[in-house]
Amino acid sequence: MLIEIDRLRLSLAGVPILRAVRLSLGEGEIYGLLGPNGAGKSTTIAAVLGLLVPESGTVRVLGRDPRREPRAVHARLGVLPEQGGFYDWMTAERYLGFFARLYGRSLSASTLGDRLARVGLMPRRGQAIGSYSRGMRQRLALARALLIDPPLLILDEPTNGLDPRGRRDIHDILLALADGGVGILLSTHLLDDVDRLCRRIGIIAEGRTVAEGNVVDLMGANSSPQRFRLRLTGAPPCAEIGNVTILARDGDWWTIDIDPAWNPEAVWHDLFCGGWPIAEIRRESGGLEDLYLALTERPAA
Amino acid sequence: MRPWHIAVILTLILEAMPACAGDLSIELAPDAKNPPAPQMGDNLSFHSIIRSNGPTAVDGVIAWLSLVQIDPGREQPVDLEDWSAHKAVTAAALHTGETLEADWPLRLIQAGTYRVVVSAASRDGATLATSPFADFIVREKPVVESRRVLPVAFTIPVLIGMAMLWRR
Amino acid sequence: MPILLIAGKETGELLLSVRGLAWLLVLSVVLSGFGFLLVSDTELSLLDNAQVVYDMAGIITALGCLLALIVGVDTIAGERERGSLVPLLLTTVSRDGILLGKLGGVAVAWVVIYALAAPYLWAVGSTGQNLADGLLGLALLGTPVVLGFGFLGMGLGACLGTARTGLLIGLIVLVLAASPLLLGPSLRQSAVGRAFDAINPFSAAVNAYDAMIIDSLPIAAQVVNLAVTAAWFALALWFARASFHRIAR
Repeated sequence: MLIEIDRLRLSLAGVPILRAVRLSLGEGEIYGLLGPNGAGKSTTIAAVLGLLVPESGTVRVLGRDPRREPRAVHARLGVLPEQGGFYDWMTAERYLGFFARLYGRSLSASTLGDRLARVGLMPRRGQAIGSYSRGMRQRLALARALLIDPPLLILDEPTNGLDPRGRRDIHDILLALADGGVGILLSTHLLDDVDRLCRRIGIIAEGRTVAEGNVVDLMGANSSPQRFRLRLTGAPPCAEIGNVTILARDGDWWTIDIDPAWNPEAVWHDLFCGGWPIAEIRRESGGLEDLYLALTERPAA
Repeated sequence: MRPWHIAVILTLILEAMPACAGDLSIELAPDAKNPPAPQMGDNLSFHSIIRSNGPTAVDGVIAWLSLVQIDPGREQPVDLEDWSAHKAVTAAALHTGETLEADWPLRLIQAGTYRVVVSAASRDGATLATSPFADFIVREKPVVESRRVLPVAFTIPVLIGMAMLWRR
Repeated sequence: MPILLIAGKETGELLLSVRGLAWLLVLSVVLSGFGFLLVSDTELSLLDNAQVVYDMAGIITALGCLLALIVGVDTIAGERERGSLVPLLLTTVSRDGILLGKLGGVAVAWVVIYALAAPYLWAVGSTGQNLADGLLGLALLGTPVVLGFGFLGMGLGACLGTARTGLLIGLIVLVLAASPLLLGPSLRQSAVGRAFDAINPFSAAVNAYDAMIIDSLPIAAQVVNLAVTAAWFALALWFARASFHRIAR
């Protein structure tokens, strides 16, 4: 496991912030860390990074205690903090070169160029960072996090400030990294990002982990049906299909429920293969947002 | 011999002799190494010899240096604070025939005409003596030179301002 | 070496950023203003010339302390507010290594100030007494005082919430320490004044300048003043280190 957290308790200035947090992240996984503002996500990340001292519980990162062995942990960790700050007078190339040397590596200009090209900053590499937009700064922060080819990435709101194309580019990078075995802890409020990227999630509310596990399993356990509206360009070949309940029809629009234990992606595959002429799909309820709202509104179990 | 003859002769004799006041006498002479035409910033030194002449010892002798400016219209005592760190010497007792020698270094701080004198007194105040005067003239020396200050004061801010424009 | 890298980065912030250059410009304008003031008085005696060199050394020390304090606060609290401190803390460089690099940045700031001020001292003092002693005194005594204020700024930036609060408290301490420049000798002769003078590093430096520049006493006679400034340097360094090691994020 790349990250193992169990029964983590942590207070700041005498105020309990984390009461019982658990989290586990393996290789090649993208783990979504969700929670309302003030739930303790940033504090959990700070504990993983070794910046805060737990009162009790265990935190293991890459098999080590990040408080006791911070340099060994940081040597194999890439981090994109929520608040990204840079040295505005430096160029992106110089900035990455500076951080590479801090890590004890000397990267050639062409290697640095490759790193910048990977995040779409190659055309702007010679300009001062002070002239960068917010989205460009976010890309540069990701380039910095990937500088040492870490086996573990911790990203706090990585698509903040990015346009849809930029978000999609970042998603593609992260998915490719996960395919290559990199473990990614992703803290974000954007459920679309979690939907697309994460197979496992953990939800923190009031300092406690209220849910953790596979997204589909959690949504199934939540027992709320997944409701969708489909626009069909013709009549469906059959009115019923195993795990789908047709609730209503309004012209071309069909309202259906999918069993919560079923992955909608698999259901669409079956429907397309079965000849359903689906032109548009809209989710009405029962998705990740409903799960999130349900779990963060209820008192912690 | 007329009375004024006697007065002149006595004055000449007294000026040639060390100043006496009862039990103490003081001689004061400039150092042979003093520059002949000193200017501001130079160093002068004076040498004094205080001798106990009385039948009994003089206890608690303190001798000090005094400096006055004697330019016409600007006569004033001079604070030795910046001229000399060596302002007084003492002796627990000066027995008959004993001497107390001291050097008095001076740094010439300001231009003008000056008179220096060494005085000595005993602790009980019964004895007070002064040395003969020693006069010297300190020549003017230009200090803050505008041809040095102005280029520096203009150039450095301009250079930094240009660097700022370049970085913009 | 990471320490040199970080010190180089800090130096770049001072010399290559418009903000850093603006501070140097302000410093040079103040010194130029003082220089213009001196040139307008052509009746200065040598005593006044020594006083000029002494006054300028005091002003340079005060300005150096001010800039070092600002650099010190900014290099910790300012970076934290800008979000650039955490990435630095998450590299493989130790806390002490990062701190030494930032201390190096403060030291370079003082070297730059000294280099900037030396022509001014030469311009006003080369025809008078003890310019060399003034430069030496500024180097040996001004350095620990100025660096101490830089370290104080770093410590305040680390343990207080915002750069503004750190700067405010640092400025209050600086004004208190520099009060000997403002108060006359008679006010410093009271029991409280003498006690304060005995522990005040700024007083120690200024008193040493007085002794070396005006009284022409050798540097070897400034042992007590050197000890006070060295103690201040060590105390401020300890404070900066202890505070920096407690930074969480």
